[in-house]
Amino acid sequence: MNIYLRLVYRNLRANLDRASLFFELIFPLFFIFVQGFGLNGIVPPFDIGNGKFVSYSLFLAAGAVTLTVINGGTNAGTQLWFDRKNGMFEQILMGPFTRAQYILSIIFATLIIGVAGSLLVFVFAFPVVGASFAFSLEGVLLIAAALFFGTVFFGAFAITLSVALKSSETFQVVSTFAFFIFLFTSSVFFPASSAPSAIQAASLANPLTYTTDIFRAGLFSAATPTTSLELGVLAVEAAAMFVIAVLAFRRIRV
Amino acid sequence: MRGQDPVIRVEELSKRFGDKVAVDRVAFDIDRSEVFGFLGPNGAGKTTTIKMLTTLLQPTSGRATILGHDLRTEGRKIRERIGVVQQQDSFDQGLNVETSLDIYGLIWDIPRPERKRRIGELIERLGMEEFRRKPTIDLSSGQRRRLQVAREFIHDMDLLFLDEPTVGLDPIVRRTLLDFFKERVRDGLTIFFTTHILEEAEYLCDRIAVINEGRIIDIDTPENLKRRFGSAKAVEFKLLQGSSAELAALLSSSESVTRLVQEPGTGTYRVTTARPESVIPEIYRHAERLGVTVSSIYISETTLEDAFINLVTENHGAGVVSGGRAA
Repeated sequence: MNIYLRLVYRNLRANLDRASLFFELIFPLFFIFVQGFGLNGIVPPFDIGNGKFVSYSLFLAAGAVTLTVINGGTNAGTQLWFDRKNGMFEQILMGPFTRAQYILSIIFATLIIGVAGSLLVFVFAFPVVGASFAFSLEGVLLIAAALFFGTVFFGAFAITLSVALKSSETFQVVSTFAFFIFLFTSSVFFPASSAPSAIQAASLANPLTYTTDIFRAGLFSAATPTTSLELGVLAVEAAAMFVIAVLAFRRIRV
Repeated sequence: MRGQDPVIRVEELSKRFGDKVAVDRVAFDIDRSEVFGFLGPNGAGKTTTIKMLTTLLQPTSGRATILGHDLRTEGRKIRERIGVVQQQDSFDQGLNVETSLDIYGLIWDIPRPERKRRIGELIERLGMEEFRRKPTIDLSSGQRRRLQVAREFIHDMDLLFLDEPTVGLDPIVRRTLLDFFKERVRDGLTIFFTTHILEEAEYLCDRIAVINEGRIIDIDTPENLKRRFGSAKAVEFKLLQGSSAELAALLSSSESVTRLVQEPGTGTYRVTTARPESVIPEIYRHAERLGVTVSSIYISETTLEDAFINLVTENHGAGVVSGGRAA
């Protein structure tokens, strides 16, 4: 079996906190079914691009799916923390593996968690919200790209945090706070264009904005010329964050 | 002269952390099927040496070959042929013992039927049957230590690094592990072994390197170390009354006494001395004056511990390096 498959399988079996995963799935569903339906009656359908009008509950459901990308990312940091805390980090590095293989295996495991979580939320939420989709190849590719780059960014971000911070408790607090900022300066809950100018400016640097916008563009066939630009920005941000994570990871003292 | 094709060859290997020299120009060879002990007080540089030899830390200077591969450039090839039982706990917290062994075998690419066979064998041999399905997070430190040892024997290796593997184990489990290591050495395994328990080193090791303040101060067989540095005898005695602080204080101040300790549990006093013939009358004299009764007394053989303490004490701060490849 390929070395990455072996390590990814091990990461998923050994380090997945099932209780956290459960709540990571419940969290977006809660937004979709409570906030989405609650505000649907007072927010009229609006244009999300390319002349596509969607209800608020559908808009939010798509945003909540990408929320699982953040949750998956947190899991990357947690996996690394568990291994460092339990002595498995050094143990694996004294085996026939390189640091690059180890960190990539965490990213791959995170991708699986992020994409599987998004699909689960999608499958649970969208039939209830009442959406019907006719997927195009372009739409599927946009969705896949959004989930891939989003998970890589947030996985790498969580790994960098977990390397930089001294205790798992600090990691939990700081990552929760950071992800809270990412969440509310993105277009998950409302279109960034309708937010105050300060939040609009922050949203331009926020990879979750692009993840969500690209995901919606793919899902609702609402791609515009700016979607390609957003995809480019997200890819660059994900690549940069990955490089930062690798550099941080190399500095871990054993 | 040691073998021409050693499993480990270390030449002038050093490691610095900022201004602190953790390991200072150590040198030694280890042959196939040899158990090489690495003894030293806390902070002497034992674990840093292991971390360098297992490629976890880059040496600051010097060179080494492990199983014929260069330490600096062929780390991956080295790691494919070694096993490491770390001093610290290491376990996969989301798994039980059996699954943990299985997944560790999987990441080492051991085929499933072979993993099953080895897991069954190790669980039986290391007495892990009663906790084979227990989550690793719930294991006692002794059980976790056995898991760590078993895990390394799931995969094939030529060289095993053991960094204080028996810490926290009861004597029966400790002996089970040591005998298990001996069996594997007979099958061709080479072991690099650090411990604080000197009886273990004496029981297991063919040769011992004593390291202090980052430098190897001697390498020899346990017997030779005892002979060379254990010239002092030990007088052991017990009191009918259990203990006497006054007697201990009087003996400690005696010129003939090098060291006096009372073993916890048994209450036996152990006096290290070069002149037992003058210490024994002194013990009786003080005891009579203090009104305590000596219930038993005898002169014991020098232990490796005596030799180790003498050696480390003699070389404290002196930075003496004796023949790195002494046989």
